[in-house]
Amino acid sequence: MATLLVHAIEQGLAFGIASLGVFLTYRILKFPDLTVDGSFVTGAAIASLLLVNHGFDPFTVLLIAFAAGGLAGVITGLLNTALGITNLLSGVLTMIMLYSINLRIMGRPNLSLLRVDTATRVIERVWEPLGVVSVLVFIALLTLLVKLLVDAFLKTELGFALRATGDSEQMITAQGVNTKTMKVLGLALSNGLVALSGALVAQYSGFADIGMGIGMIVTGLAAVIIGGTLIRSTRVGWMTTSVLVGSLIYRIAITLALRYGHVVGFQASDLKLITAILVVLALVLPRLREQRLKKVSAC
Amino acid sequence: MKHVRTILVAGLVIAALAVGASAAELKIGISKIVAHPALDAVEQAVMDTLAAAGYTDVEYLLGDAQGDFNVAITIAQNFQAQNADLVVAIATPTALAAAQVYEGSDVPLVFAAVTDPVSAGLIPSATDPSGYGNITGVSDLIPVSSHLALLQEVSSDITKIGLVYNPGEENSAVLTDMALAAAPGLGLEIITASADSTANVPLAAQSLIGRVDAYYVTTDNTVVSAIDSVLSASADAGVPFLMADSTSLPSATLTAGFDYYVHGQAVGDVVLQILGGAAPNTIPAVYQADAEVKLNLDAAALIGLEFPQSIIDQAAAIYYGGIEFSK
Repeated sequence: MATLLVHAIEQGLAFGIASLGVFLTYRILKFPDLTVDGSFVTGAAIASLLLVNHGFDPFTVLLIAFAAGGLAGVITGLLNTALGITNLLSGVLTMIMLYSINLRIMGRPNLSLLRVDTATRVIERVWEPLGVVSVLVFIALLTLLVKLLVDAFLKTELGFALRATGDSEQMITAQGVNTKTMKVLGLALSNGLVALSGALVAQYSGFADIGMGIGMIVTGLAAVIIGGTLIRSTRVGWMTTSVLVGSLIYRIAITLALRYGHVVGFQASDLKLITAILVVLALVLPRLREQRLKKVSAC
Repeated sequence: MKHVRTILVAGLVIAALAVGASAAELKIGISKIVAHPALDAVEQAVMDTLAAAGYTDVEYLLGDAQGDFNVAITIAQNFQAQNADLVVAIATPTALAAAQVYEGSDVPLVFAAVTDPVSAGLIPSATDPSGYGNITGVSDLIPVSSHLALLQEVSSDITKIGLVYNPGEENSAVLTDMALAAAPGLGLEIITASADSTANVPLAAQSLIGRVDAYYVTTDNTVVSAIDSVLSASADAGVPFLMADSTSLPSATLTAGFDYYVHGQAVGDVVLQILGGAAPNTIPAVYQADAEVKLNLDAAALIGLEFPQSIIDQAAAIYYGGIEFSK
């Protein structure tokens, strides 16, 4: 059971980085960005290609993946700001483009990293004394670093301008900020994070597959919304924490559903149904508790 | 009252964990990437083969990743957490996920329905499995060039063959490349039409009408899920359709392929060898060879096709009037 929890947390945090990206566009910039289904794979694709064919260092490829994701975000941003295409459609168009581009990058639909020195393999070796939790600690530290960087950025002048662009475009334009630049920047950062996550997950999973990004927007939004419902705060530090918490809950729900679904009579094919039910419970129970407490204090 | 509730919840959690810790003689994890007749047949055949060999006290942990590669990893981690004694992973992505999770472990891993285990990195070579420790299995690599030759035998007018496939599927991409490489040597030309999802298959199939003399589909999971649309397109075009999967006989003009239940039995045999004490890295991967030709006379009648006698002689079964008759 403990190992299951460790794995759930590992994946929850690794995907949490992508969820932070979705948070930046969906919550901060108020720009629903569907590019993520594609940019997630772009990160995975670039990282895998460089690892397999060019023997790059597994940690450097994470940074290169971030840059590649950034480029993807810029494409969406330009489609929206320079060509005037609506935000939703811009994201969709880039996602569609990325499908073909990603296939080209990988050269094949699936690139196996089984026999390559990935980041997780290096960590397992170098941090052997930590045993089972070595990879977990690495991912946790990486995610924490990313979160702190995002927090710090959102508190800079540029970060505030980004937040203001999402809140009230008119007001911030009056203050002399170029909202178009802000949007492109926000999208670039966001997709950079998503691609970074993709590169990390690919190395964790042992392969990059053209289909591994499908549903990434759903995973990301689930994390953002679950987290946002459980931890209501407008303070940046708490908001990013809530996203990571949301991602963890979502991943734990899937793990529990897989592990114990059959106990309550569910079949393997009911996985998504059970996951959704567990998520609903996670959202509703705290609220019920709040209401009960209110009733008690009202007496 | 407060405490009673807490105790109840704790009790439920402990009960759930206890159920998880049930003791069967043997725990075998079987995972697949998606539920579909061929993969389901493999899963069933493995269980049947083991039961027939006398292994009745087995707890099977079944996993269906429902097309999600990340879930495939969680399923494998699940098997590991439940201390599975042996894992059967059906299809390439599931096998890769299991290999990743079980890396360096002694737990035997048997892959099934993997088209190219060598390039997937599962085994070092087709004949020598000893390199990577605990992995072996059965591959469903199709003899593509013999299929193309079969089409030539059906009718000598066939020179251009349309291939509908999903370029996003690894096994399909490998087989398509094989077809493209083999065709010129047989004096044939392959014209591909790609469909990246089941919804786009009909369109891809229709785009080949009037441009090809025959349709060919390999073991592409995406296209197989929409196989009837390919049959309609081929019927509209008035040309035969060869499908590399016997379970699809009612939806093709003729099939040349493996019976996936038989494939699963071969997997079961490998599992039995391992349970009997053989180490996985001493068992070379099995490449299924028993391809059979089956003919769909109903579909042939629709396009006015009469199979030459040589093909009828080869056929292991015939589909006529909605019923399959074996020889």
